[in-house]
Amino acid sequence: MRLLLTTLFLLSSLNADSGILDIKWPKPNLQQQKPSTPYPTVLTKGIKNTKLPIYIPSSFAYDEKMVVVADKNFYTISFLLQGATVMVSGDRTFQQSISTSNSDFQKMMKPSPTIEFMEEEGMRSANFNRHGVNYELSIECDKPKEDARCKEEDFLRKLYSKLIMVGGRP
Amino acid sequence: MRYFLIALIAIGLTACATKDNKKVEQQTWKGKGFTYYPAGYLKPSNSGRGRRGDNYIYAPNIRFPLAYAPAYINSQVYGIGGQFGPRGSLCDQRNYKYPWRDNYCEKRTRGMPLCPAGVGHQGVDIRAKDCRDNTHYAVAVEEGVITYIGSYSVKLRGTSGRTYRYLHLNSHSIQVRRGQRVWRGQKIGRVSDNMGKTKTSIHLHFDIKQTIRFGNYSKSVYVPPYTSLVDAYKRLLRGRP
Repeated sequence: MRLLLTTLFLLSSLNADSGILDIKWPKPNLQQQKPSTPYPTVLTKGIKNTKLPIYIPSSFAYDEKMVVVADKNFYTISFLLQGATVMVSGDRTFQQSISTSNSDFQKMMKPSPTIEFMEEEGMRSANFNRHGVNYELSIECDKPKEDARCKEEDFLRKLYSKLIMVGGRP
Repeated sequence: MRYFLIALIAIGLTACATKDNKKVEQQTWKGKGFTYYPAGYLKPSNSGRGRRGDNYIYAPNIRFPLAYAPAYINSQVYGIGGQFGPRGSLCDQRNYKYPWRDNYCEKRTRGMPLCPAGVGHQGVDIRAKDCRDNTHYAVAVEEGVITYIGSYSVKLRGTSGRTYRYLHLNSHSIQVRRGQRVWRGQKIGRVSDNMGKTKTSIHLHFDIKQTIRFGNYSKSVYVPPYTSLVDAYKRLLRGRP
C-alpha cells in the first residue's frame, strides 16, 4: 500500500516540462569582462553566443589548449593538466519541474549551501548555483586513489575561490 | 468513462501493491526471456537502500547505451567476485544472467540527494554480453554533443539537456572527440575496466544528470536511470532501439 501511494504521489507531482531558467544577471565587472590582455580566441569565439554568465578559474583563463563546448544555454570548458582534467560547466536549462507540494522532494531538493563539494566516481566536483544558473567544477585524475587533487577537496576549493566571470551576455 | 478508467487504474495498482507486499516479483517481459526486478530493490539487503516506488522514466525514449543485447544490470561490488560479494570470478556466468537488479543508490560515500540515505551510487553498472575486455561498444543514447573526455569518462549532452556519463571505456577505443556532434546510436568506445591508471572490473558505469526545478529553486542531480534503461532495453530487444 505504501508503495502504491508513493508511486501515485511521485507520478502525480513529477512534471516533464522542460525549459529555461531565469537569470539574475550580475552587475558587469568590466575588469573581468575586458581584461588588459585579451582572452584566447578559443574562449571568446566558443562562448560568443552563450547567454549565461561564464565562469572559469582565473589560473586557466589564458590556457590556449582549453576545449570549449557551448551553445546558447550551456557551456563546458575543460583544461588538461598533468595527470588530470579540470572541467567547468554552466547550464540554464531544466528537464523536470516538480510541484512544491511533493514532500518527498521537499526534503531532497532543499536549497543547498552556497557550494556542495562532492566525491564522485573516481573524481571530485563542486556544484553551486549562481544567478539562478547551475554550475559544476570538477577534476578527474589519472590516478584517483593516489592523486591528492582528487582525494582531497583543497585543490577544488582553491579553483573555486579563483573563479572569474569571463563572458556571457543577456 | 473517466470514472471507469480511474477505477480500472486503481484496481490494477492495488493488485500490483498486493503482489509487492507478498514478495518482490520479477517483472517478465514476453518474447526474449528478459526479466528484471523493479527499480530500487537492491540486493543484498546490506548493499544500501534503493529508491523504491519511483517508477518514473526520467529520460524517456533514450537508446540503450550498449550497441547490442544481451546486457546485464547488476552490482559490480556485491556481485560474484566483487569487493563485498561472494568469492569467485568477476567473469562468473552467474553475473551474466537475467534478472536485472537496480544498483542506483547502492552503498557509496557520494552525496546523492535523491537516494534515501542521502549518499549512494550515482548511476548503474552494466555488464555487456560477456566478460571480454575492449570488445563491446557503448553508443550514444540520444543525439547530442560530446562535452568532455577525461581519463576514464565521456560526457554526452543530449539535445534534451540531460548529461549522460559513460565510465571505464577503453581510452584507446574512444571514437569521438570533445565538441563532436553525435547521433543516437553512434559508437562512443568499448567497454573496459579503465579507471585512469588503476583498474576496476569490466563494465560500463552509466549515469544521467539533469536539472530539476522545484519552485523558484533548481538543482542538477543524478536521477535514477534504471527505469529509463529497462524501457530502452525492451526497444532494443524488439529491434527498434
